[in-house]
Amino acid sequence: MIALRIGLAALFLMVAVTVQTSVLTQIAVAGVTCDLVLIVVIALALSRGPEWGAISGFVGGLLLDVVPPADHTAGRWALALAIAGYVAGLIRRETSAGPVGPLGVALTVVFGSALSLLIYSGTGALLHDPAVDWGQFGVRVGIAAGYDVVGAIVVIPLVMWVMSRFTAARERRRVVSR
Amino acid sequence: MLKDLGTPARGLVRAAGVPREVRRRRTVLVLIILACFTLIVLDARRSAGSPVEPLRTGAAAVFGPLESTASSARQPVDNLRDRFAELDRLQAENEKLKTDNDQLRQQLNTTDYTRNRAAELDRLLRLAPKFTMTPARVIGMGSAQSFSHTVTIDAGTADGVRVDQTVLNGSGLVGRVVRTTQGTSTVLLIGDRNSTVGGRLNSTMALGFVSGRGEVGGTLDYKLVDLKARPRAGDRIVTWGSSGNAPYVPGVPIGVVTSVTATAGALGSTAIIKPYVDPTRIDTVGVVTGPPARAPRGQLKPTTTAGKAG
Repeated sequence: MIALRIGLAALFLMVAVTVQTSVLTQIAVAGVTCDLVLIVVIALALSRGPEWGAISGFVGGLLLDVVPPADHTAGRWALALAIAGYVAGLIRRETSAGPVGPLGVALTVVFGSALSLLIYSGTGALLHDPAVDWGQFGVRVGIAAGYDVVGAIVVIPLVMWVMSRFTAARERRRVVSR
Repeated sequence: MLKDLGTPARGLVRAAGVPREVRRRRTVLVLIILACFTLIVLDARRSAGSPVEPLRTGAAAVFGPLESTASSARQPVDNLRDRFAELDRLQAENEKLKTDNDQLRQQLNTTDYTRNRAAELDRLLRLAPKFTMTPARVIGMGSAQSFSHTVTIDAGTADGVRVDQTVLNGSGLVGRVVRTTQGTSTVLLIGDRNSTVGGRLNSTMALGFVSGRGEVGGTLDYKLVDLKARPRAGDRIVTWGSSGNAPYVPGVPIGVVTSVTATAGALGSTAIIKPYVDPTRIDTVGVVTGPPARAPRGQLKPTTTAGKAG
Protein backbone atom coordinates (compact mmCIF):
# COMPACT_ATOMS: atom_id res chain seq x y z
CA MET A 1 0.00 0.00 0.00
CA ILE A 2 2.71 2.44 1.00
CA ALA A 3 4.69 1.65 -2.17
CA LEU A 4 1.59 2.27 -4.24
CA ARG A 5 1.02 5.62 -2.55
CA ILE A 6 4.63 6.68 -3.11
CA GLY A 7 4.37 5.64 -6.75
CA LEU A 8 1.16 7.64 -7.14
CA ALA A 9 2.71 10.70 -5.53
CA ALA A 10 5.74 10.42 -7.82
CA LEU A 11 3.47 10.10 -10.83
CA PHE A 12 1.50 13.19 -9.79
CA LEU A 13 4.72 15.16 -9.36
CA MET A 14 6.13 14.08 -12.73
CA VAL A 15 2.94 14.97 -14.57
CA ALA A 16 2.80 18.30 -12.72
CA VAL A 17 6.39 19.18 -13.65
CA THR A 18 5.84 18.28 -17.31
CA VAL A 19 2.57 20.18 -17.61
CA GLN A 20 3.88 23.20 -15.71
CA THR A 21 6.97 23.61 -17.88
CA SER A 22 5.48 22.93 -21.29
CA VAL A 23 1.72 23.53 -21.34
CA LEU A 24 0.85 26.00 -18.58
CA THR A 25 3.46 28.51 -19.75
CA GLN A 26 1.27 28.93 -22.82
CA ILE A 27 -1.58 30.33 -20.72
CA ALA A 28 0.59 32.41 -18.42
CA VAL A 29 -0.96 35.56 -16.93
CA ALA A 30 1.57 38.38 -17.38
CA GLY A 31 4.26 35.72 -17.65
CA VAL A 32 3.31 34.08 -14.35
CA THR A 33 2.31 30.44 -14.65
CA CYS A 34 0.24 28.32 -12.32
CA ASP A 35 2.53 26.52 -9.82
CA LEU A 36 1.09 23.09 -10.47
CA VAL A 37 3.89 21.34 -8.59
CA LEU A 38 3.26 23.46 -5.51
CA ILE A 39 -0.45 22.65 -5.68
CA VAL A 40 0.24 18.92 -5.90
CA VAL A 41 2.68 19.17 -2.98
CA ILE A 42 0.07 21.00 -0.89
CA ALA A 43 -2.55 18.41 -1.83
CA LEU A 44 -0.22 15.60 -0.75
CA ALA A 45 0.60 17.44 2.46
CA LEU A 46 -3.07 18.02 3.22
CA SER A 47 -3.91 14.38 2.68
CA ARG A 48 -0.85 12.79 4.32
CA GLY A 49 0.71 15.29 6.75
CA PRO A 50 3.89 17.35 7.11
CA GLU A 51 6.42 14.59 6.43
CA TRP A 52 4.84 13.80 3.10
CA GLY A 53 4.55 17.51 2.38
CA ALA A 54 8.24 18.10 3.07
CA ILE A 55 9.49 15.05 1.16
CA SER A 56 7.23 15.53 -1.86
CA GLY A 57 8.07 19.24 -1.83
CA PHE A 58 11.75 18.38 -1.89
CA VAL A 59 11.36 15.93 -4.75
CA GLY A 60 9.03 18.15 -6.79
CA GLY A 61 11.21 21.21 -6.20
CA LEU A 62 14.33 19.30 -7.16
CA LEU A 63 12.66 18.28 -10.41
CA LEU A 64 11.81 21.94 -11.09
CA ASP A 65 15.45 22.77 -10.35
CA VAL A 66 16.96 20.31 -12.81
CA VAL A 67 14.36 19.81 -15.54
CA PRO A 68 15.05 22.17 -18.46
CA PRO A 69 14.60 25.13 -18.94
CA ALA A 70 15.75 25.66 -15.35
CA ASP A 71 19.04 27.53 -15.27
CA HIS A 72 19.30 28.57 -11.63
CA THR A 73 21.24 27.02 -8.76
CA ALA A 74 19.75 23.61 -7.96
CA GLY A 75 18.14 23.26 -4.54
CA ARG A 76 16.32 26.61 -4.48
CA TRP A 77 12.88 25.36 -5.50
CA ALA A 78 13.54 22.17 -3.49
CA LEU A 79 14.02 24.19 -0.31
CA ALA A 80 11.09 26.50 -1.05
CA LEU A 81 8.60 23.72 -1.82
CA ALA A 82 9.80 21.46 1.02
CA ILE A 83 9.13 24.18 3.60
CA ALA A 84 5.83 25.12 1.96
CA GLY A 85 4.77 21.46 1.97
CA TYR A 86 5.77 21.02 5.61
CA VAL A 87 3.80 24.09 6.67
CA ALA A 88 0.78 22.95 4.66
CA GLY A 89 0.99 19.58 6.42
CA LEU A 90 1.05 21.35 9.80
CA ILE A 91 -2.09 23.26 8.86
CA ARG A 92 -3.80 19.95 8.21
CA ARG A 93 -2.69 18.66 11.61
CA GLU A 94 -3.95 21.72 13.46
CA THR A 95 -7.38 21.26 11.97
CA SER A 96 -7.36 17.48 12.00
CA ALA A 97 -10.62 17.37 13.96
CA GLY A 98 -12.36 17.48 10.58
CA PRO A 99 -11.36 17.69 6.95
CA VAL A 100 -9.89 21.02 5.85
CA GLY A 101 -12.65 23.14 4.35
CA PRO A 102 -12.46 24.82 0.93
CA LEU A 103 -11.57 28.18 2.46
CA GLY A 104 -8.82 26.56 4.51
CA VAL A 105 -7.42 24.91 1.38
CA ALA A 106 -7.50 28.20 -0.54
CA LEU A 107 -5.73 30.04 2.28
CA THR A 108 -3.15 27.26 2.50
CA VAL A 109 -2.48 27.58 -1.23
CA VAL A 110 -2.13 31.37 -1.05
CA PHE A 111 0.16 31.10 1.95
CA GLY A 112 2.21 28.27 0.41
CA SER A 113 2.58 30.14 -2.86
CA ALA A 114 3.76 33.35 -1.14
CA LEU A 115 6.07 31.43 1.19
CA SER A 116 7.68 29.36 -1.57
CA LEU A 117 8.24 32.37 -3.84
CA LEU A 118 9.71 34.32 -0.92
CA ILE A 119 12.14 31.51 -0.11
CA TYR A 120 13.02 31.03 -3.77
CA SER A 121 13.71 34.73 -4.30
CA GLY A 122 15.46 35.03 -0.94
CA THR A 123 17.93 32.26 -1.74
CA GLY A 124 18.43 33.86 -5.15
CA ALA A 125 19.25 37.18 -3.52
CA LEU A 126 21.66 35.46 -1.12
CA LEU A 127 23.41 33.87 -4.10
CA HIS A 128 23.57 37.28 -5.86
CA ASP A 129 21.47 36.07 -8.76
CA PRO A 130 20.94 39.21 -10.85
CA ALA A 131 17.67 37.79 -12.16
CA VAL A 132 15.84 38.38 -8.86
CA ASP A 133 13.90 41.62 -9.13
CA TRP A 134 12.30 42.68 -5.86
CA GLY A 135 10.47 45.50 -7.62
CA GLN A 136 8.46 42.91 -9.53
CA PHE A 137 8.22 40.48 -6.64
CA GLY A 138 4.98 41.76 -5.08
CA VAL A 139 3.05 41.83 -8.34
CA ARG A 140 4.20 38.37 -9.33
CA VAL A 141 3.40 36.85 -5.94
CA GLY A 142 -0.07 38.37 -6.13
CA ILE A 143 -0.76 37.01 -9.59
CA ALA A 144 0.80 33.63 -8.75
CA ALA A 145 -1.27 33.24 -5.57
CA GLY A 146 -4.50 34.06 -7.38
CA TYR A 147 -3.67 31.79 -10.28
CA ASP A 148 -2.67 28.97 -7.91
CA VAL A 149 -6.01 29.12 -6.14
CA VAL A 150 -7.74 28.74 -9.51
CA GLY A 151 -5.54 25.73 -10.32
CA ALA A 152 -6.02 24.30 -6.85
CA ILE A 153 -9.81 24.22 -7.27
CA VAL A 154 -9.30 21.57 -9.96
CA VAL A 155 -6.19 19.76 -8.80
CA ILE A 156 -6.42 19.49 -5.00
CA PRO A 157 -9.76 17.63 -4.82
CA LEU A 158 -8.53 15.25 -7.53
CA VAL A 159 -5.23 14.45 -5.80
CA MET A 160 -6.82 14.18 -2.35
CA TRP A 161 -9.56 11.90 -3.67
CA VAL A 162 -7.06 9.59 -5.36
CA MET A 163 -4.84 9.54 -2.28
CA SER A 164 -7.80 8.75 0.01
CA ARG A 165 -8.79 5.84 -2.22
CA PHE A 166 -5.45 4.26 -1.43
CA THR A 167 -5.54 4.71 2.32
CA ALA A 168 -5.74 1.49 4.31
CA ALA A 169 -9.08 1.03 6.07
CA ARG A 170 -7.25 0.56 9.39
CA GLU A 171 -5.50 3.90 8.98
CA ARG A 172 -8.64 5.66 7.85
CA ARG A 173 -10.30 4.67 11.11
CA ARG A 174 -7.34 5.98 13.06
CA VAL A 175 -7.45 9.33 11.27
CA VAL A 176 -11.16 9.65 11.89
CA SER A 177 -10.98 8.73 15.56
CA ARG A 178 -8.17 11.18 16.24
CA MET B 1 14.92 8.49 24.08
CA LEU B 2 13.65 11.25 26.32
CA LYS B 3 11.90 8.68 28.53
CA ASP B 4 15.27 7.35 29.63
CA LEU B 5 16.23 10.70 31.07
CA GLY B 6 13.84 10.33 34.01
CA THR B 7 10.47 11.48 35.22
CA PRO B 8 10.65 15.26 34.67
CA ALA B 9 11.08 14.73 30.96
CA ARG B 10 7.89 12.72 30.78
CA GLY B 11 5.73 15.78 31.42
CA LEU B 12 7.56 17.67 28.71
CA VAL B 13 7.03 14.88 26.29
CA ARG B 14 3.34 14.72 27.01
CA ALA B 15 3.04 18.47 26.47
CA ALA B 16 4.51 18.10 23.02
CA GLY B 17 1.58 15.94 21.93
CA VAL B 18 2.59 12.78 20.11
CA PRO B 19 6.31 12.78 20.80
CA ARG B 20 7.69 10.24 18.44
CA GLU B 21 5.74 11.56 15.46
CA VAL B 22 6.68 15.17 16.14
CA ARG B 23 10.30 14.26 16.61
CA ARG B 24 10.32 12.23 13.42
CA ARG B 25 8.76 14.88 11.26
CA ARG B 26 11.14 17.51 12.63
CA THR B 27 14.05 15.23 11.83
CA VAL B 28 12.69 14.84 8.29
CA LEU B 29 12.39 18.61 7.88
CA VAL B 30 15.88 19.28 9.19
CA LEU B 31 17.37 16.57 6.97
CA ILE B 32 15.61 17.98 3.92
CA ILE B 33 16.71 21.56 4.64
CA LEU B 34 20.27 20.32 5.07
CA ALA B 35 20.01 18.41 1.80
CA CYS B 36 18.78 21.57 0.05
CA PHE B 37 21.63 23.68 1.40
CA THR B 38 24.11 21.00 0.39
CA LEU B 39 22.68 21.04 -3.13
CA ILE B 40 22.77 24.83 -3.32
CA VAL B 41 26.37 24.98 -2.12
CA LEU B 42 27.44 22.19 -4.48
CA ASP B 43 25.75 23.83 -7.45
CA ALA B 44 26.54 27.46 -6.64
CA ARG B 45 30.04 27.28 -8.07
CA ARG B 46 29.23 27.11 -11.76
CA SER B 47 32.77 27.45 -13.06
CA ALA B 48 34.10 24.14 -11.76
CA GLY B 49 31.79 21.46 -13.22
CA SER B 50 28.82 21.15 -10.88
CA PRO B 51 28.11 17.70 -9.39
CA VAL B 52 24.41 18.35 -10.09
CA GLU B 53 25.13 18.24 -13.82
CA PRO B 54 24.51 14.46 -14.23
CA LEU B 55 21.17 14.99 -12.49
CA ARG B 56 20.26 17.69 -15.01
CA THR B 57 21.29 15.48 -17.89
CA GLY B 58 19.19 12.62 -16.54
CA ALA B 59 16.20 14.87 -15.94
CA ALA B 60 16.45 16.27 -19.45
CA ALA B 61 16.63 12.76 -20.89
CA VAL B 62 13.44 11.77 -19.07
CA PHE B 63 11.48 15.02 -19.28
CA GLY B 64 12.61 16.16 -22.73
CA PRO B 65 10.42 13.63 -24.58
CA LEU B 66 7.61 14.20 -22.04
CA GLU B 67 7.68 17.96 -22.60
CA SER B 68 7.88 17.41 -26.32
CA THR B 69 4.75 15.26 -26.24
CA ALA B 70 2.92 17.62 -23.92
CA SER B 71 3.69 20.65 -26.05
CA SER B 72 2.43 18.93 -29.19
CA ALA B 73 -0.90 18.62 -27.37
CA ARG B 74 -1.10 22.35 -26.74
CA GLN B 75 -2.90 23.30 -29.94
CA PRO B 76 -6.29 23.68 -28.16
CA VAL B 77 -4.61 25.74 -25.44
CA ASP B 78 -3.09 27.95 -28.10
CA ASN B 79 -6.47 28.47 -29.73
CA LEU B 80 -8.02 29.44 -26.40
CA ARG B 81 -5.28 31.92 -25.69
CA ASP B 82 -5.51 33.35 -29.18
CA ARG B 83 -9.20 34.01 -28.75
CA PHE B 84 -8.51 36.02 -25.61
CA ALA B 85 -5.59 37.76 -27.22
CA GLU B 86 -7.51 38.63 -30.39
CA LEU B 87 -8.71 42.05 -29.19
CA ASP B 88 -5.33 42.96 -27.77
CA ARG B 89 -3.69 41.96 -30.99
CA LEU B 90 -6.04 44.01 -33.13
CA GLN B 91 -5.39 47.03 -30.97
CA ALA B 92 -1.67 46.46 -31.10
CA GLU B 93 -1.84 46.01 -34.85
CA ASN B 94 -3.77 49.25 -35.25
CA GLU B 95 -1.17 51.02 -33.14
CA LYS B 96 1.60 49.46 -35.17
CA LEU B 97 0.04 50.42 -38.49
CA LYS B 98 -0.33 54.00 -37.28
CA THR B 99 3.31 54.19 -36.28
CA ASP B 100 4.31 52.53 -39.53
CA ASN B 101 2.32 55.14 -41.41
CA ASP B 102 4.07 57.93 -39.51
CA GLN B 103 7.39 56.33 -40.17
CA LEU B 104 6.69 56.02 -43.89
CA ARG B 105 5.69 59.67 -44.05
CA GLN B 106 8.86 60.58 -42.21
CA GLN B 107 10.90 58.44 -44.57
CA LEU B 108 9.31 60.18 -47.51
CA ASN B 109 10.60 63.47 -46.14
CA THR B 110 14.11 62.14 -45.73
CA THR B 111 14.48 59.95 -48.79
CA ASP B 112 18.11 60.72 -49.59
CA TYR B 113 19.18 60.21 -46.04
CA THR B 114 17.28 56.98 -45.84
CA ARG B 115 18.69 55.79 -49.13
CA ASN B 116 22.20 56.27 -47.81
CA ARG B 117 21.28 54.49 -44.62
CA ALA B 118 19.72 51.68 -46.59
CA ALA B 119 22.82 51.32 -48.70
CA GLU B 120 24.90 51.15 -45.57
CA LEU B 121 22.55 48.66 -44.03
CA ASP B 122 22.61 46.60 -47.17
CA ARG B 123 26.36 46.52 -47.04
CA LEU B 124 26.21 45.46 -43.43
CA LEU B 125 23.72 42.74 -44.16
CA ARG B 126 25.65 41.56 -47.18
CA LEU B 127 28.68 41.25 -44.96
CA ALA B 128 26.81 38.95 -42.62
CA PRO B 129 27.57 35.59 -44.13
CA LYS B 130 25.09 32.81 -44.45
CA PHE B 131 25.13 30.42 -41.53
CA THR B 132 23.96 26.84 -41.31
CA MET B 133 20.87 26.64 -39.15
CA THR B 134 19.33 23.79 -37.21
CA PRO B 135 15.59 24.28 -36.75
CA ALA B 136 14.07 23.48 -33.35
CA ARG B 137 10.82 23.84 -31.51
CA VAL B 138 10.29 25.36 -28.06
CA ILE B 139 9.03 22.64 -25.70
CA GLY B 140 9.31 24.34 -22.30
CA MET B 141 9.43 27.84 -20.86
CA GLY B 142 10.56 29.38 -17.59
CA SER B 143 7.95 31.26 -15.59
CA ALA B 144 7.97 34.85 -14.40
CA GLN B 145 7.76 33.95 -10.74
CA SER B 146 11.05 32.12 -10.99
CA PHE B 147 12.50 35.22 -12.67
CA SER B 148 14.01 33.03 -15.37
CA HIS B 149 13.78 33.90 -19.03
CA THR B 150 14.83 30.57 -20.45
CA VAL B 151 13.25 28.11 -22.85
CA THR B 152 13.90 24.48 -23.69
CA ILE B 153 14.21 23.51 -27.33
CA ASP B 154 13.97 20.01 -28.75
CA ALA B 155 17.40 19.93 -30.37
CA GLY B 156 20.51 18.82 -28.53
CA THR B 157 24.05 17.65 -29.01
CA ALA B 158 22.76 14.87 -31.28
CA ASP B 159 21.64 17.61 -33.71
CA GLY B 160 24.94 19.46 -33.51
CA VAL B 161 23.83 22.09 -30.98
CA ARG B 162 26.61 23.24 -28.65
CA VAL B 163 26.79 25.67 -25.74
CA ASP B 164 27.21 29.34 -26.75
CA GLN B 165 25.51 29.12 -30.12
CA THR B 166 23.19 31.84 -31.37
CA VAL B 167 19.45 31.15 -31.41
CA LEU B 168 17.22 33.23 -33.68
CA ASN B 169 13.91 33.09 -35.47
CA GLY B 170 12.31 34.80 -38.43
CA SER B 171 11.92 38.09 -36.55
CA GLY B 172 15.32 38.40 -34.93
CA LEU B 173 17.60 37.34 -32.10
CA VAL B 174 16.13 34.97 -29.50
CA GLY B 175 19.10 34.18 -27.26
CA ARG B 176 21.97 31.80 -26.84
CA VAL B 177 22.39 28.18 -25.83
CA VAL B 178 23.57 27.84 -22.23
CA ARG B 179 23.12 24.13 -21.59
CA THR B 180 22.82 21.10 -23.81
CA THR B 181 21.95 17.46 -23.43
CA GLN B 182 21.53 14.67 -25.94
CA GLY B 183 18.09 15.72 -27.14
CA THR B 184 17.32 19.11 -25.57
CA SER B 185 19.00 22.46 -25.02
CA THR B 186 18.32 25.35 -22.70
CA VAL B 187 18.29 28.79 -24.28
CA LEU B 188 18.90 31.97 -22.26
CA LEU B 189 16.65 34.63 -23.79
CA ILE B 190 18.06 38.11 -24.39
CA GLY B 191 15.41 39.50 -22.01
CA ASP B 192 16.99 37.75 -19.00
CA ARG B 193 18.90 39.93 -16.58
CA ASN B 194 21.89 37.58 -16.96
CA SER B 195 22.08 38.24 -20.68
CA THR B 196 24.23 40.85 -22.41
CA VAL B 197 24.57 41.12 -26.19
CA GLY B 198 26.82 43.39 -28.21
CA GLY B 199 24.52 45.57 -30.31
CA ARG B 200 25.28 47.94 -33.18
CA LEU B 201 23.10 50.95 -33.86
CA ASN B 202 22.13 50.71 -37.50
CA SER B 203 21.85 54.46 -38.10
CA THR B 204 25.30 55.46 -36.84
CA MET B 205 27.04 52.09 -36.60
CA ALA B 206 27.86 52.93 -32.99
CA LEU B 207 28.58 49.98 -30.72
CA GLY B 208 26.88 49.25 -27.44
CA PHE B 209 25.64 46.60 -25.10
CA VAL B 210 22.11 45.25 -24.90
CA SER B 211 21.14 43.72 -21.57
CA GLY B 212 17.87 42.18 -20.44
CA ARG B 213 15.60 43.94 -17.96
CA GLY B 214 13.94 40.78 -16.68
CA GLU B 215 10.52 41.98 -17.75
CA VAL B 216 7.79 39.76 -19.16
CA GLY B 217 7.65 41.69 -22.44
CA GLY B 218 11.36 41.11 -22.89
CA THR B 219 12.32 44.80 -23.13
CA LEU B 220 16.03 45.52 -23.16
CA ASP B 221 18.45 48.20 -21.98
CA TYR B 222 20.95 49.58 -24.47
CA LYS B 223 24.13 51.35 -23.39
CA LEU B 224 26.50 52.77 -25.97
CA VAL B 225 30.24 52.42 -25.70
CA ASP B 226 30.72 55.85 -27.24
CA LEU B 227 29.32 58.23 -24.62
CA LYS B 228 28.74 61.05 -27.10
CA ALA B 229 26.60 59.03 -29.46
CA ARG B 230 22.89 59.33 -28.76
CA PRO B 231 20.45 56.74 -30.00
CA ARG B 232 17.03 58.00 -31.11
CA ALA B 233 13.65 56.40 -30.88
CA GLY B 234 13.07 54.24 -33.93
CA ASP B 235 16.71 53.29 -34.38
CA ARG B 236 17.25 49.64 -35.14
CA ILE B 237 19.85 47.49 -33.46
CA VAL B 238 21.66 44.42 -34.80
CA THR B 239 24.26 42.19 -33.18
CA TRP B 240 27.88 43.02 -33.91
CA GLY B 241 29.01 39.48 -33.26
CA SER B 242 31.54 37.96 -30.92
CA SER B 243 34.97 36.64 -31.73
CA GLY B 244 34.68 33.18 -33.25
CA ASN B 245 30.95 33.80 -33.68
CA ALA B 246 30.22 32.50 -30.16
CA PRO B 247 27.92 33.20 -28.50
CA TYR B 248 26.51 35.69 -31.03
CA VAL B 249 26.90 35.85 -34.79
CA PRO B 250 26.91 39.31 -36.39
CA GLY B 251 24.09 40.97 -38.26
CA VAL B 252 21.09 39.50 -36.45
CA PRO B 253 18.37 42.11 -35.77
CA ILE B 254 17.72 42.58 -32.05
CA GLY B 255 15.10 45.29 -31.72
CA VAL B 256 14.09 48.88 -32.10
CA VAL B 257 14.74 51.82 -29.73
CA THR B 258 11.52 53.03 -28.11
CA SER B 259 12.78 55.66 -25.68
CA VAL B 260 16.05 57.25 -24.58
CA THR B 261 16.87 58.53 -21.10
CA ALA B 262 20.03 60.14 -19.83
CA THR B 263 21.75 57.79 -17.40
CA ALA B 264 21.41 59.20 -13.89
CA GLY B 265 24.75 59.89 -12.25
CA ALA B 266 26.82 58.84 -15.21
CA LEU B 267 27.82 59.91 -18.69
CA GLY B 268 25.97 58.68 -21.71
CA SER B 269 22.41 57.60 -22.14
CA THR B 270 20.36 54.45 -21.85
CA ALA B 271 17.87 53.44 -24.48
CA ILE B 272 14.96 51.11 -23.95
CA ILE B 273 14.62 48.57 -26.72
CA LYS B 274 11.60 46.66 -27.81
CA PRO B 275 12.84 43.35 -29.18
CA TYR B 276 11.64 42.08 -32.54
CA VAL B 277 11.02 38.69 -30.97
CA ASP B 278 8.06 38.45 -28.58
CA PRO B 279 9.48 36.20 -25.84
CA THR B 280 6.07 34.86 -24.89
CA ARG B 281 5.34 33.69 -28.43
CA ILE B 282 8.48 31.89 -29.51
CA ASP B 283 7.78 28.62 -31.22
CA THR B 284 10.07 27.61 -34.05
CA VAL B 285 13.63 28.83 -33.75
CA GLY B 286 16.89 28.25 -35.57
CA VAL B 287 20.20 27.48 -33.91
CA VAL B 288 23.27 28.68 -35.79
CA THR B 289 25.27 25.48 -35.91
CA GLY B 290 27.40 25.88 -38.97
CA PRO B 291 30.48 28.04 -39.41
CA PRO B 292 30.24 31.20 -41.53
CA ALA B 293 31.83 31.35 -44.94
CA ARG B 294 34.27 34.01 -43.73
CA ALA B 295 34.84 36.25 -40.73
CA PRO B 296 33.01 39.53 -41.23
CA ARG B 297 34.62 41.55 -38.44
CA GLY B 298 37.70 42.57 -40.40
CA GLN B 299 35.53 44.25 -42.99
CA LEU B 300 33.27 46.01 -40.52
CA LYS B 301 36.13 47.69 -38.69
CA PRO B 302 37.18 50.34 -41.25
CA THR B 303 33.63 51.69 -41.44
CA THR B 304 33.32 52.09 -37.69
CA THR B 305 36.75 53.59 -37.11
CA ALA B 306 36.21 56.00 -39.96
CA GLY B 307 32.87 56.98 -38.50
CA LYS B 308 34.34 57.52 -35.06
CA ALA B 309 37.36 59.45 -36.28
CA GLY B 310 35.18 61.79 -38.30
